[in-house]
Amino acid sequence: MSDYILELSNITKNFPGVKALDNANFKLKKKSIHALLGENGAGKSTLIKIITGVYNQNEGKLFLNNQEKSFSSPNEAMNAGISVVHQERNLIRRFSVGENLMLTNLPKNNLGLIDYNTVAKESKKWLDIMELDIDPNTIVSDLTVAKMQLCEIAKALSLESKILLLDEPTSSLSPQDTKNLFALLKRLVAEQDVSIVFVSHKLEEVFEICDEVTVLRDGKNACESEQITNLNRQKLVKLMIGRDEQIIKSKKNIDFTDESLLDLQSINTDLGHKNINLNLKKGEILGLYGLVGAGRTELIKCVLGLDKINSGQILLNNKEIKIKSPKDALEKYKIGYISEDRKKEGLILMHDVLSNAGITVWSNLKKILSFLNDSIVYNKVDPYVKQLEVKTPSYQQIVSNLSGGNQQKISVAKWLASGTDILFIDEPTVGIDIKTKSYLHELIIELSLKGTSIILITSDMPEMISLADRIITMKDFKVVGETINNHNYEEMSSSIMGNIHE
Amino acid sequence: MNNKIPNFVKTNQFGLLILVIVFICIFSFSTDGFTSRFNIYALSRVVALDIMIGLAMMVVILTGGLNLSLGALGVSAAMFGGWCMESMGIPISITIILVLAFGSFLGWINGFVTVRTGVHSFIVTLATMSIYFGFMTLLTEAEAFRKLPEAFTDFGSLKLFNKYISPLLIISVLTCFVLYYIFKYTDIGRKLIAAGANPDAAELSGISVDRMFIYCHMLSGFLAALAGIMLTARIGAAIPSMAGHLGFDWLLPAFLAPVLGGTLLSGGKVTVFGTMLGAILVTLINNGLYLIDVGEFWVRFFLGIILLGAVLLDRAREYFTVKNSIVS
Repeated sequence: MSDYILELSNITKNFPGVKALDNANFKLKKKSIHALLGENGAGKSTLIKIITGVYNQNEGKLFLNNQEKSFSSPNEAMNAGISVVHQERNLIRRFSVGENLMLTNLPKNNLGLIDYNTVAKESKKWLDIMELDIDPNTIVSDLTVAKMQLCEIAKALSLESKILLLDEPTSSLSPQDTKNLFALLKRLVAEQDVSIVFVSHKLEEVFEICDEVTVLRDGKNACESEQITNLNRQKLVKLMIGRDEQIIKSKKNIDFTDESLLDLQSINTDLGHKNINLNLKKGEILGLYGLVGAGRTELIKCVLGLDKINSGQILLNNKEIKIKSPKDALEKYKIGYISEDRKKEGLILMHDVLSNAGITVWSNLKKILSFLNDSIVYNKVDPYVKQLEVKTPSYQQIVSNLSGGNQQKISVAKWLASGTDILFIDEPTVGIDIKTKSYLHELIIELSLKGTSIILITSDMPEMISLADRIITMKDFKVVGETINNHNYEEMSSSIMGNIHE
Repeated sequence: MNNKIPNFVKTNQFGLLILVIVFICIFSFSTDGFTSRFNIYALSRVVALDIMIGLAMMVVILTGGLNLSLGALGVSAAMFGGWCMESMGIPISITIILVLAFGSFLGWINGFVTVRTGVHSFIVTLATMSIYFGFMTLLTEAEAFRKLPEAFTDFGSLKLFNKYISPLLIISVLTCFVLYYIFKYTDIGRKLIAAGANPDAAELSGISVDRMFIYCHMLSGFLAALAGIMLTARIGAAIPSMAGHLGFDWLLPAFLAPVLGGTLLSGGKVTVFGTMLGAILVTLINNGLYLIDVGEFWVRFFLGIILLGAVLLDRAREYFTVKNSIVS
């Protein structure tokens, strides 16, 4: 009985019009790593928000160390030892690591001023526990994404947290960083008496690190504290989506000796790319694989004219082109870019579905005197929004109110509507549930079969190997390898990782 | 849930409309002469200007920026117009075109510098405010142009609709309709709003954000110049101090109207008719308080309080947008 540090029983939470949680149970064993899984909209976030005091449940009880508790604010939950590390970074970028770690409890000297020596000493203690080799005086914005993530965990530890909730902690980490993170988490559980709730869409990770699994589906428990050893991937997916998973593989015959559609020749950029050569064939899905910081997104942004290309040529159909801006790329050369950061770069969250889906086609649709009304835009984008099965109450719905999967569908839909010949697709399925993910995979393959040429950036190795026709590996702003994909996971992944670690 | 309540009732404009009606009722009953023909005509002349400068500020707030040079710019353009008519003898119609072009040019400078330097428009327009006003004072030697063509000044004192309404108000209302049309029914209007809401996303979607921001500043200069012409016609002369020192007198109404109207200070959302209603409300309160005879300083005090309240409202709007998005 007293095995559980946190216990939620029969939790029900109603929002206007929806029952987000319906009699859900969740039990976290002391010193365990517990996976909380479910599709988007299954109620995971709601459950986490109840645990962390953001919401109050309508029915049900929450026990912490066998005592009934109810938190009326995130602060109360934090003081009770519950910390959450979000997908989005919660660090102040301009502050040092030490200041961020000690932020809620900055040590003061006799004059009431901040005692920076103690800040450094105290925060060093927590960084040491995590075996992190970071100087506490480093400014956060100078850290890599992976280190920021680890600092967030250090911050949670410094608050003496006994329960850590990690929401998609690996979504922006490279395989190597992920490995390090997992080693650290296991050590924390073993040495620091910490219990961890782990939320992720990557099932491989769940099997690697978790002890028990709770799956939510439509607000109810699809399984409750099941031992991970009793499950396999197929069973788990079935619990999550209620049916078997379909494995998708691109089956195409691309003749790689064909002339290239897009050709980058010895490109050097302001950002530090050195002698980049790559070519894209018509109808091909060309994968760009690399660790975070390999310069893949940056390369695409240089090609789009957002950063400067110092030397080298870009050829489109064997003719040299100069792309000055994304507007140029879209209007002159029919090249589009689906951003990895849909909230910041992909969508205008405060605007409605119609203007987000139509933004790329306004220029083409405008009539005399730049006239354009909603119904003209609607007629153009509706087929694509329907094709992608975007779930929205109406076209007037504000995009920030939609789920992540549906948001991603809209940021894809607007590029489908624009009818580009070449699409750069950057991390299309980060933080997207399995159903939408396989749907987007099918769509990408279908697009390429219809003749759209695609450069796909993804850090998700299985995704890369199931979609790409050819895989280019990048490291430190250079191309370090090229492999024709045979869709065999073992062979491909070891060849790619070989390229990276040469 | 709340489906029974029509959508327009939940909007900011509806609340404003109610407030406007409430204030009209209060002042009609509590003061003598509020509903007199003379007072309504005077109101219509004032509100016409407040609407125009509110719109001029609104189109820059759309970019998430500000235009502090609004008053200085408007007066500079008006003085330029006075010089054209009085010293150069240029016909009225051509003068108006020249003034509007000049205003747009000064707006272009604001926009160009803001975009190229990446400095917030608050600082840029703070500087240009001083530059425009200083330069104008230097060139005019702080002298007014008082011998303007009669056809021009007569227009400013024309009385329409049984002598209740100034034609200036009609210009302002028409301008509202034109702007509404631009933002709602044109490609360019949509792009202006998209660029203001999320510059990064707009740029990556093939919109030239820099150009859009410059357009917004040019439009602001255009509208401020139009306001300058209207003020010149109203007082029958172009006077360097007609909008106060550095054009400060225009700033408070310029902020109040769009913010009360529901334009988000962070950019990306405009409400043309909200701004119009906001301007009407400000003018009403101003006028009503004068009639109640509370004294100049109390009027300023109240307008300041209203601006603070309106900004709090703006914060609340953002808060609720975020709160709504949490529930998914």
